[in-house]
Amino acid sequence: MSQFVEGLVNAKLRNMKQMNNVYEIGHVSMVKDYILEVEGLENVGFYERVVIANHSVGYVTAISKNIVKVALLQRTAEIYVGDEVVTTGFDFCAMYSKACLGHIVDIFGEDRLIGEKFENLRPCMIETPAIPIMERSEVSRPFYTGIAGIDLIYPIGYGQRQLIIGDKKTGKTQIAIDTIVNQKQRNVICIYVAVNKTKKNIRDLYDDLMKKGAMEYTLILAAFNDDEPPVSYFTPYAGLSIAEMYMREGNDVLVVIDDLKSHADIHREISLLSGKVPGRDAYPPDIFYTHSRMLEKGCQHMNGGSITLLPIVETRGGDITDYISTNIISITDGQLVLSKKNFEKGLKPAINYGLSVSRLGGAVQEKNMKKLGAVVRRKFLSYLETSEVYQLANTDEMSPEMQQALKDGQAIQERLLQYKFSPRTPDEIMNDFYEIIEE
Amino acid sequence: MEPTTQELMVGKIVSISELNVAVLINDEKVKYHDMLYTYNKGKKIQFEVAEEEGNIVSTIPFQSVIGLKKGLPVYKEDSGLEIEYSDAILGKVFDSYGNLIDQNVIENPNKRNVYSRNLTLEEISLNGGILWTGIKVLDFFAPMQKGFKMGLLGGAGVGKTVLIKELIHNVYTGLNSNSVFVGVGERSREGKELYDEMKEADLLDKMAIVFGQMGENSSARSKAVFSGLTLAEYLRDEKHQDVLLFIDNIYRYVQAISEVNAELSRVPIENGYPANINSAVSNVEERINSTEKGSITSFQAIYIPADDTTDQAVQTITTHLDGQIVLDRKVAEKGLYPAVDVFNTTSKLIDIDKVGERHYRLVEEALRYYSRYRELEEIIAVLGIEELSQADTNVFYRTRKLRNYFTQPMFVAENYTGIPGEFVKIDDILDDVENIITGKYDDYDESRFMFIGKFNG
Repeated sequence: MSQFVEGLVNAKLRNMKQMNNVYEIGHVSMVKDYILEVEGLENVGFYERVVIANHSVGYVTAISKNIVKVALLQRTAEIYVGDEVVTTGFDFCAMYSKACLGHIVDIFGEDRLIGEKFENLRPCMIETPAIPIMERSEVSRPFYTGIAGIDLIYPIGYGQRQLIIGDKKTGKTQIAIDTIVNQKQRNVICIYVAVNKTKKNIRDLYDDLMKKGAMEYTLILAAFNDDEPPVSYFTPYAGLSIAEMYMREGNDVLVVIDDLKSHADIHREISLLSGKVPGRDAYPPDIFYTHSRMLEKGCQHMNGGSITLLPIVETRGGDITDYISTNIISITDGQLVLSKKNFEKGLKPAINYGLSVSRLGGAVQEKNMKKLGAVVRRKFLSYLETSEVYQLANTDEMSPEMQQALKDGQAIQERLLQYKFSPRTPDEIMNDFYEIIEE
Repeated sequence: MEPTTQELMVGKIVSISELNVAVLINDEKVKYHDMLYTYNKGKKIQFEVAEEEGNIVSTIPFQSVIGLKKGLPVYKEDSGLEIEYSDAILGKVFDSYGNLIDQNVIENPNKRNVYSRNLTLEEISLNGGILWTGIKVLDFFAPMQKGFKMGLLGGAGVGKTVLIKELIHNVYTGLNSNSVFVGVGERSREGKELYDEMKEADLLDKMAIVFGQMGENSSARSKAVFSGLTLAEYLRDEKHQDVLLFIDNIYRYVQAISEVNAELSRVPIENGYPANINSAVSNVEERINSTEKGSITSFQAIYIPADDTTDQAVQTITTHLDGQIVLDRKVAEKGLYPAVDVFNTTSKLIDIDKVGERHYRLVEEALRYYSRYRELEEIIAVLGIEELSQADTNVFYRTRKLRNYFTQPMFVAENYTGIPGEFVKIDDILDDVENIITGKYDDYDESRFMFIGKFNG
């Protein structure tokens, strides 16, 4: 009997060996927050998913002569030195199923509202190779946000990356939400990527989008601020992988990343903890590449699909020239700068028209809108500049040309005001501003 | 592809991180800049040797190392990094490693290593004529000479790339020569647009393009410039041509080597730059020179991180330049494009012997107006315009006109301004500036000077 069992076991083992189906086992030798060092894994691959003590999950971040480094992704119980680490033979991947659309999910394919995994989850590579230059085509189709200050003055096109940057409480996220809501019936799949957000923030956002009927075509991919930092770090990449999948099927996708400053801070934390050399402001030297390869996923693909990106960056004291902000500005195709001052004066959306830029400009506007936009922008910018210099001057003594310019400027400013959830169609915008120019 | 017996196995992988793979070498000899490779799940991954220590060499991988394992056999390529070296380069698009990425094929390739020697003092020639760009503010404050290295400095989003594209447009059409465009760490979208525009304008067959854009890893971004230089040297040394070299953006090269440096765990200097930043930049810049037989005229965009002009990398690069055009966020904020900061924009040509007395004096005078205006702005903020003396009032209004006059509609920016571009001749510029400064144009409203070519009343 025992011989029979032994024979069976040996046969099984032989089979497993032949199929290379035997997983290696190592042991934890150091635990430093969420970074582990593991001994005894000789055949593990870079980026391979590993299971620690049968309950937690991590992936390999570095392989050196005697140890491998593992970053934790999910920790369900305490980890001790000496715990077993088992390799899985798979690269670490995000899990996604198309049924996730309309829900709040994490990168493991779990519905965060009810805490259950979706069915039919498929692995989705977290980082795909850059989209080749020759596969891109021109960004030229207008993407309507419903906000006059954007659609008319600093327009966005399908495949554009437009940064939304400003201090806390200046309406950054609101612009993104308005944009998502305005995509109803426009056949755009929206992905809102939350990095390091509170659960309350996410609940609010979900309720808002639900009320407006925008959840049908929206996916909220969320990392909470109590998730393991490597998860927060990967969430935007996973969001863009999902977007890329939809894009390659020919869909238009909008991705909002809220926000990249937190993402940069998380990357700094992980890098410093892993003992990497710090650079400017203690960020690792690859901080630019961290964001550039992420935001370069935004494009108009030659097959017709596109990824439009609205990354958000939070600033302090209105300073958009700090290291992270300028890095990201130098990647995106323009920026919408929101100013605290305007917000307090009630000029909403609180766009600072002087500092905002759209690098694509009229290339992504329909012909009439482009003509009108160019005139309005020029008039309004020169109004903003002259009104500053001539603040103390006597209006009556000015040339009639100057007086008219100031009057037009004020009229433009008034018509740019717009409250949340009150989108304007391109025609409405044209009508509102034509009058001023006609006069 | 599976390894064949003809491949030269040199060692095995002993450690892996994202940008650094260490290889334990057997008896074979391996040197700096040698190219090694391995196979990972059937895909070839290449490494370049960056450091040697005993029988372990540190290498920089060119492709993604996801899935790579310890113990994989490593082989050596016959030669280091190479790129095509023939007339076939024109009209083609290469990646950083010298591979064609535009579906073209070069028959019987004639390749050459991308690391070449610098020119000696004897070989370098300085002579060349003035090269007018047709952009008012550049031709006036920072004129260009054949064989010059001109830097375009600016923070994020102030218009470096638009200016470089305008220069390509203007200089190209005026000068009948071939050019090399090297995209380093910039937007892929812009890269594709440049390609499409060149193709549309029928100029593609006069340009060779190398792209190592920002979506690519550090090693790709650090090699693009070497590949591009090799192409430019071919046109200069073998074809004896006057070559235009556009590098957008040379700062990204330094940024990329900082990333590599950190992965090799070398101790950095301030802001994370590598300690060998000087020699790394010199190795590139000293190759961009002219000889008796041919010249390389280069425009190099330089990104200013965090708007910090004292940045080590920016300072290191600018020591090599013959002139610089500085773009300023404060000017851009006012909607004045090109957003040139006239105080820091200079050229070696601004010299009485080189541009002539009239031009030189006008530049001096214009700068005097600009600096007085800067002071007056502060006074006005407190007292208002009425309180100024007559002389100061003149300076105030004339400088505002001057400032507006130095904006320009650009050919490549028609999408932003809605106004077609203009090429302005230097004589017209000098006349107009003189007329504004001497007060001849005092009766015209300042708005008449915005976004025009030469002033027509």
